[in-house]
Amino acid sequence: MAAPSMKERQACWGARDEYWKCLDEHEDAGPCQTLRRSFEASCPQQWIKYFDKRRDYLKFKEKFEAGQFQPSNTTAKS
Amino acid sequence: MLKHRSIRPVLLLLAQPPKAQRGLSQLKASALLRTPGGEALHVRCRLLSGQGQPRGPGLRTRLLVTALFGAGLGGAWLAVRAEKEREQQRRRTEALRQASVGQGDFSLLDHRGQARCKADFRGQWVLMYFGFTHCPDICPDELEKLVQVVRQLEAQPNLPPVQPIFITVDPARDDVAAMARYVQDFHPRLLGLTGSAEQVAQVSHSYRVYYNAGPKDEDQDYIVDHSIAIYLLNPDGLFTDYYGRARSAEQIADSVRRHMAAFRSVLH
Repeated sequence: MAAPSMKERQACWGARDEYWKCLDEHEDAGPCQTLRRSFEASCPQQWIKYFDKRRDYLKFKEKFEAGQFQPSNTTAKS
Repeated sequence: MLKHRSIRPVLLLLAQPPKAQRGLSQLKASALLRTPGGEALHVRCRLLSGQGQPRGPGLRTRLLVTALFGAGLGGAWLAVRAEKEREQQRRRTEALRQASVGQGDFSLLDHRGQARCKADFRGQWVLMYFGFTHCPDICPDELEKLVQVVRQLEAQPNLPPVQPIFITVDPARDDVAAMARYVQDFHPRLLGLTGSAEQVAQVSHSYRVYYNAGPKDEDQDYIVDHSIAIYLLNPDGLFTDYYGRARSAEQIADSVRRHMAAFRSVLH
């Protein structure tokens, strides 16, 4: 399977960005299903998995930097 | 010893106010001396005071001689130190010369199918990036950045041209044809290099590039995890600097310009 060309890469990134914008605007993923399908159609499967993981990481990073994760105060082993 | 002893009366003389000094030099020495062992001194001082010359220049001469001697010692020390530094520099240059020829050499195919090794790029500045064509976003971004650096430097006619190189860490999929398709999207001078698994392993090892192919999915597609850096090689083929993801194209271009200005070849 040949690697995506520059045009294909850009189409994939565009679809990804649209999908992510939709996810940012809506609480749940429901309204974004069409965009999700077009995203899946534009990108190789490996990339979809990669971008999903990347989104999870970016969301986690946002929360972390906003200080929503506190280190545990107890030293007892759970 | 004479010099040593005669300092005392000299110092006494100098301790007197200026008018008194002239008068004192005419006085008999015995009037000055109440020091122990004065008898012998008495004789000597009389002999000397008979000259009727002030002792000031004597002290100055001694100080001058001491200063000259000290300067001579200091000069000798500096010369020895300079020679030691020159020797260290000679040894370092020799080590660099050997590294330039022996280290970081590679034997790869470019995207036109021609065999290339490190010596082919001697005389040129090289910006090198390791990646793979199936890369989702990082490699295209980094290559785009690298190419921007090259373009910024190209815009300055007084600077030597920089050779951009892309080396694959996925030789299983990135053959000559795949590399040719990939590099054309970035810059006409971007050179793609590929080879056998062993050749790629060897060049990655030379440049301390980590890479690891991930698990394959149903399409037999996979992502290669790899370290991300743009490497700068100088015209002697020596590794000079590296730039991570955080550096912008402007920062990299500035750094390359500085290295170019400071460059002195160790090869002839």
